[in-house]
Amino acid sequence: MKIKHQLAIFNALTRLLVILILWLMLPILVENVVYRHINNGLLEKKQKFIQHLDQNEINDFIENSDDSTETYSQFSTLHSEFLVLSKSPVKVVKKKAVFTNEYRVIEGEENEYRILQYHFTFGNQGYNLEIGSSLGEVKDLTFIIKFFIIIVFVVILLITFLADTFYIEYLLKPFYRIIDTKIRRVNEPEAFDHTPIKARSRDFRELDFVLNQMMDRIAELFKKEKQFISNVSHELLTPIALLKNKFENLLQNDSLDDNAIDKIAGSLRTLDMLKKIINNLLLISRIENNQYEANESINFHELVADLQEDLEDRIEDREIQFLNKMEHDYIFTGNKTLIHILIYNLVTNAIKYNKPKGSIEVADGFLENKYFISITDSGIGMKDSQIENIFNRFARISSDQDGQGLGLAIVDSIASFHHIEIKVTSLISEGTTFMLLFPEPSKDK
Amino acid sequence: MNILIVEDNKELAVEVYDFLCNVGYVCKIAHDCADALEEVNSNDYDAMLLDLGLPDGDGFEVLKTVRKTKSKIAVIVLTARGELDDRINGLHLGADDYLTKPFALTELSARLFAVIRRIHGFTLNNLSIHGFLLQLQDYKVSYDDIPISLTKKEFDIFQYLVLNKNRVITRLQLTEHIWGDILEVNSDSNFIDVHVRNLRKKLDKHRTIDWFETVRNVGYRINE
Repeated sequence: MKIKHQLAIFNALTRLLVILILWLMLPILVENVVYRHINNGLLEKKQKFIQHLDQNEINDFIENSDDSTETYSQFSTLHSEFLVLSKSPVKVVKKKAVFTNEYRVIEGEENEYRILQYHFTFGNQGYNLEIGSSLGEVKDLTFIIKFFIIIVFVVILLITFLADTFYIEYLLKPFYRIIDTKIRRVNEPEAFDHTPIKARSRDFRELDFVLNQMMDRIAELFKKEKQFISNVSHELLTPIALLKNKFENLLQNDSLDDNAIDKIAGSLRTLDMLKKIINNLLLISRIENNQYEANESINFHELVADLQEDLEDRIEDREIQFLNKMEHDYIFTGNKTLIHILIYNLVTNAIKYNKPKGSIEVADGFLENKYFISITDSGIGMKDSQIENIFNRFARISSDQDGQGLGLAIVDSIASFHHIEIKVTSLISEGTTFMLLFPEPSKDK
Repeated sequence: MNILIVEDNKELAVEVYDFLCNVGYVCKIAHDCADALEEVNSNDYDAMLLDLGLPDGDGFEVLKTVRKTKSKIAVIVLTARGELDDRINGLHLGADDYLTKPFALTELSARLFAVIRRIHGFTLNNLSIHGFLLQLQDYKVSYDDIPISLTKKEFDIFQYLVLNKNRVITRLQLTEHIWGDILEVNSDSNFIDVHVRNLRKKLDKHRTIDWFETVRNVGYRINE
């Protein structure tokens, strides 16, 4: 998951959490405010009532002074408020006002009221005063307020979420540009683009700067290695050339006996081996140093046909059946010379490690949208533990085999240079299959 | 035929010099760019063997300068493999061929022959040996006007041995000539023998070929 998505999700979640908490607290908050407001109103009314209180008024309120339960009440026309005064049988000590929420039936209509209850004594008589205010309207109002606030919250959530997302996107843009232009598209350090990436955040400018520095160092190393390879080639191959030519001239000397000729020829063979080992190692170094271009179109159909012709003698010599089952006209973009070496090495291995009168099958096809070429021999096969090591330099399965164990190391370098995946499956004395899985072309571009 | 050998390694230059003189060329050695340019400007050379890593500069500079004035000189670039792209560059700048070090002297003479022949407009089209006529243009061999049918490989082997007549040619040299400079170690094998055997059989039908020698364990030689 990308950082911008992670940040966006995190932002959304934290906001949602805040809103949830607010939403849960809202009824409490609203009720607190509303009740306080109503309480104050009720207290004010009580105050007014008590201040103007005299016996006449009490008598006005209480018709029948003997009946303690008889009450006289005063209502507002819409039943939104009421006032009840009743005689209290007991003498009240406490003079505290108490607020409660209760349901009352007034003239056949039940409503919830906020009620102030107040006990007081007037002329040796205890009275109970109740002032009520209807909560119906208040409830409606609270609901509307809550609804409105929720809508506002949701709108704020959406706006800030979008704003955040766009801002994060904007902030991270240089980051992706750095990845794209400075890292992903760079195959060769020399082709590195040093133009600084414009970024608002200092972090990215720093990252860009450090990457540029790193690339400079790598380019320097690559350059040195290139120089080194070139020097080694020249310095090692020139003496070999000298020895080789000396021996060749020596070989023409008529006074030589058979023994001397044999020894000179043997020396020439050794020199040839030395030359090839050096060239192979240099080849690996050069591939790993990215000194090859990979921009040629390669037709595997032609390549395998050419190879079969080239290796005709060896195939016939060992009476091996070569089955060319290439069916697809697949074009791969890479380095022709290297790909030729890659397939050549695999096929010559298949010849070398085959049984006499065995067979080699070269086939192609598609596996999960990827083009593949498989080279199967009917040879001696390998154990799994051996397969692990075959791509190492100078690795050989057994000591009695020809070659220097560089063929598959080269195969490995060439394959990774072209992002080709190699799969090896083998069964002892049944044969071995090398499968080359080519990268999808779209990935390359 | 005059040949200029431009090579900074003096010993190597001498080996090439000895070999080419033996074959019948007239040779001169230059050890650096300045020498080489002076030689080319003061004498007429048919061919130049050009090493790239010279003490006072790049062999390519010599090649560029030479190509400005002389078009009829055949140039073969000698290079170590590590000097990558040199061959492509070389052919681009007007080298006629290239050889990677270390090369076989017999291969050098075969290439030299081909390059000079091309530069001079294919005037030399036939080689003959003991009555056998090799038509280089169309890869045909005949004896007393009787055509002999040879495969491409057999023809190449025959031509190579004739061009380097009186010299022992090792199997390795022949293998490299036929299959190219392959990287595979220990590719030296006896496949070449099969082709030589077939070639000898075909030639033997027309006259005795005791001049086509097998040098035991080493290779072959055609004596004039």
